[in-house]
Amino acid sequence: MDLYFWVFASMSVLAGLFTIAAKDALPSAMGLLTVFIALAALYLHLHAPLIAIFQVAIYAGAILILVVFVIMLLMAPGERLAAIQANVSYRGFGALLGLCLIGLVVVGIKGVSDIVSMKALPEGFGAPSMFGDLFFRDFLLHFEVVSVLLLVALIGGIYLCKKKL
Amino acid sequence: MASLTHYIVLSSILFGLGTIGFCTRRNALILFMSIELMLNAVNLMLVAFSNFMGDMAGQVMVLFIFAVAAAEVAVGLAILIALFRHVREVDITRFNVLKW
Repeated sequence: MDLYFWVFASMSVLAGLFTIAAKDALPSAMGLLTVFIALAALYLHLHAPLIAIFQVAIYAGAILILVVFVIMLLMAPGERLAAIQANVSYRGFGALLGLCLIGLVVVGIKGVSDIVSMKALPEGFGAPSMFGDLFFRDFLLHFEVVSVLLLVALIGGIYLCKKKL
Repeated sequence: MASLTHYIVLSSILFGLGTIGFCTRRNALILFMSIELMLNAVNLMLVAFSNFMGDMAGQVMVLFIFAVAAAEVAVGLAILIALFRHVREVDITRFNVLKW
């Protein structure tokens, strides 16, 4: 039994459940933070230390702070913190849909894991130097396109937040 | 050592949880967080396959998904704030201006 995997896997699933079941948005965000941290720990286990660092810095650091900031901005205390839930039929339908999706994905991809045999990892696999080498040589164009995407998102975000749209 | 199947099942469960949250909640902010949960499930799957196939391209792909998620959150939350200024509400059933 791989204790490391099971601890963080159960932690992420429980925190994910809490995220979608919490009454208010702020506890929900804290649940999501726990999911991010648990996944970062699993990335470390999967020889991806750089991704684990980015997970904590970008997701838990930047994105979640933005979400929490907007929660604080929009949901002033005592204003509308009551639970906002869909009606029962929609909830049942959504839960059924999600469970079917889990089953479908598990059945669909489980066969793949038999084909993919555990290869001996090359020397220095997951090291930031190897990552950077791949990133700035084979994926240079993609990198530039993503920088344009981020610029567009930046401009769009500023424009949408103007007082008079 | 946890096998690839373990990670596939874990990732599917997280993705399914995100889907359930997206379908069952009406708070727009929690819908956002459900989408983040789904994106993270996909990231986990990519990193797991990258590890078990010995190919680092999967990790690079995860970094691109980080960038796209950041862009999505920035624009999405800006839209939400703009909507909130009009409706004073984060319940998505009140956003029915375009409803036929």
